[in-house]
Amino acid sequence: MEVIYGLLPGMLLLGIVGVAIFFWAVRSGQYDDMDGSANRVLMDDDVKVDANEQQEKD
Amino acid sequence: MAESCFHCGLPVEQQGEFTLVVEEKQRDFCCFACQTVCHTIYQSGLESFYQKTPENEKLAPPPEQNNEFESFDSDEVQADYVDALTEDRIINLLVEGIHCAACIWLIEQTLSKHEAVISVEANLTSKRLRLRWNNSQAKLSELLKLLAQVGYKAVPFDMDTAEGALAKRHRGMLYRMAFAGFAMMNLMWVSIALYSGANEGEFRNWFHWIGFLVATPTLLYSGYPFFKNALTGLRRGYLTMDLPISIGASVTYLYSTYITAFEIETGEVYFDTVVNFLFVILVGRYLEAISKREALSSTRRLLELQPKLATLIDDGQAKVVPVRSVKIGDHVLVKPGEQVPVDGVVIEGQSGVDESMLTGESLPVLKTVDTQVVAGSFNGEGALTVRAEQVLRNTALAKIVELMERAQSSKAPIQALADRIVPWFVVITLSLASMTFLYWYQTDIEMALLAATSVLIITCPCAFGLATPMSVAVSTGVGAQLGILVKQGLALETLSKVTHFVFDKTGTLTNGQLQLVDTAVTPSMEQEQLLSFAASVEQNSEHVIAKAIVSAADEQNLPIMSLSQFKAFPGEGVQAYLEAQLIQVGTAAWLEKQNVVDETGFFKQALVKEQQGQTCVFVVIDKKVVGLLAFADSLRTDTLNVINQLKQQGLAITVLSGDKTAVVENITADFGDVRRFSEVLPKDKSDVVKELQNQGEVVAMVGDGINDSPALIQADVSLAMASGTDVSIESADIVLSHQNFINVIKARDLATATLTTIRQNIVLSFTYNVIMVPLAMMALVNPLVAALTMPLSSLVVIGNAARLRRFLRR
Repeated sequence: MEVIYGLLPGMLLLGIVGVAIFFWAVRSGQYDDMDGSANRVLMDDDVKVDANEQQEKD
Repeated sequence: MAESCFHCGLPVEQQGEFTLVVEEKQRDFCCFACQTVCHTIYQSGLESFYQKTPENEKLAPPPEQNNEFESFDSDEVQADYVDALTEDRIINLLVEGIHCAACIWLIEQTLSKHEAVISVEANLTSKRLRLRWNNSQAKLSELLKLLAQVGYKAVPFDMDTAEGALAKRHRGMLYRMAFAGFAMMNLMWVSIALYSGANEGEFRNWFHWIGFLVATPTLLYSGYPFFKNALTGLRRGYLTMDLPISIGASVTYLYSTYITAFEIETGEVYFDTVVNFLFVILVGRYLEAISKREALSSTRRLLELQPKLATLIDDGQAKVVPVRSVKIGDHVLVKPGEQVPVDGVVIEGQSGVDESMLTGESLPVLKTVDTQVVAGSFNGEGALTVRAEQVLRNTALAKIVELMERAQSSKAPIQALADRIVPWFVVITLSLASMTFLYWYQTDIEMALLAATSVLIITCPCAFGLATPMSVAVSTGVGAQLGILVKQGLALETLSKVTHFVFDKTGTLTNGQLQLVDTAVTPSMEQEQLLSFAASVEQNSEHVIAKAIVSAADEQNLPIMSLSQFKAFPGEGVQAYLEAQLIQVGTAAWLEKQNVVDETGFFKQALVKEQQGQTCVFVVIDKKVVGLLAFADSLRTDTLNVINQLKQQGLAITVLSGDKTAVVENITADFGDVRRFSEVLPKDKSDVVKELQNQGEVVAMVGDGINDSPALIQADVSLAMASGTDVSIESADIVLSHQNFINVIKARDLATATLTTIRQNIVLSFTYNVIMVPLAMMALVNPLVAALTMPLSSLVVIGNAARLRRFLRR
């Protein structure tokens, strides 16, 4: 059970890393637009695919 | 054939007017702008925009552009919006015309194809765009034009002034909440370990110290706002709601630290309770802040849309400058299509100005020399030179926003009551907690401590303190969107108790404009023919009666012929020739001078009509009077509806007017059982109100805010119909800014609903305390449960207040 002396600080360290990442995410504005980002991922870059299909048909 | 616009889906008025061949089919468009936008979209290969647009989403036609992009290119102007005037610049733009996710896709695709653009991020929620570009490769105007071509209008805006302080506070709160969340999750593991057996044996102290290590920074960082508020309150001699929270959190923390530090075998630590408690309260506070911001967002947007640039005329030279450098007395040029940057007086030029933003009036208002224009309105077809009278924060638009902010922070009496109660509440809480502690101390110190802490936490005056301001904030926000500007929270409370409504007639019950109400013709003519003739003669005249005639003819779709040799005699009449026929329209006095023949006795008929407050003009063909047109100020379309609804609600109604008795009787004929006072001088109007008040009535006065001021002040609550610029009418408690009379009813409904909500909220929070406090005192609730239920009670209150927003959907 002595492993607990190492595990607990390790857990806290990981937690702090998590908090740091969250702070960074907020600061860089990732939480500013919840609706836009949710939709954006579905929309990117399918223009080229469309164009290719068009050419294949031709 | 498609009858709706291919781009925006609006109906196409004239098929074949704007067309484009798209995907081998001819498509119709509603306007040139839509056609151009669609053309650009297809040319740049972005046509999948149309597939990405949700099925039922209606695009609006692209916003009108003002073509003033170049003015944003100068470094002087950009200095306000970009961080540094280097090559690589970042600017925030406010974008009009974003509806859905497909729009942000289109914007990002369009801009990122440009070589000068380094990065572009569109924000769907706040309808903003963050653009980073290389200034030496392309000017900003070039990019703005690109956006314009796909149908979006972008204006730079200053992030800091728009929302700086508020956003920073929210972010700070989010950080503290996140930190408390992290600490809570980690401490939970420690607690589980302690509960499941680690409490005895060698690891006990180790776990205690870990708990101490996590709880200390959390208490200091996440708990900081509570300590700060409690201290500030104490220093000023107030007991705030943050005080019990702070005491509860620190007492529990100190006790746990004591157990930990002295390694006391019998005691328990409660670090997890402290942290959970802080986290849960912070979540509540954050949600509260967000819903408050939502309630205010419509106001913010109004301010953001204020014009940023002005064309200053200095020594005959026109120069584009940021609007904040314009001073009172400066001359500003407003080009066609531009937004008016300041409140001021026109000193040169003439143009129709769209003031819908302020008044809800959709038709442009004609502005000539010496008329007032307001900041934020849109100039139509002509150029205007304006002398600035009010700038920036003093403009009418800024004042509307300020009015709302003041109302939202002003306190209704019922709220002042809550504020007086809070300190007592805190005192009672503290003494109840002490009593609980002393009582349980006889049995067990630990139980005593926990029970006392629970009492501190659970007695939540928060819900109590939130009950009123939250409801007032939501309802003023809702009101503003409906065109009901509430200046004070108090007004809502009084309005819901009103027993007697007093209306001013002119400009309130009526439109305040002349309209055609009656015609009389000789047997040889038709009424339509008469009106058609009159309109043909009057079409070139600017007189109010001329406008009334032309609009009446337009309404009936009568033909307006073009006549020759038009001649106007100011104040008397007009004349013109239809081929060889001389047609005259004018006053009796003018016509009598010219010896016209009046066979049917129209002049006598007119005398009777003028007694009733109507104004008459006569139509004369070849010196023979053929008809008469009578004009009067008419009731607003929804006046009768409002009067009937108020009567149904059992309210008494009085009509006040300075006009003659016959006129008042005539116009209020359909009102039925109401009291009428005519020929009342403006200064006597307040006496009528006073008399009613002496009879024990609670009086609401509805006026137009100009000549009714004394009566408006005398009344218990006053509503003013704002026309155009005078939205900040000093004497009225509530200003109805859109020209909808039905808003009188809506304002009352809103007030009643607000009061109901406030009462419900107070009952809710009271019930909560009555049930939970005894439980806590009996040591049946542990501090964690207390911390969970307390924000819940606040959230219930907030949620209940948010229900007021359903008003918008009606």
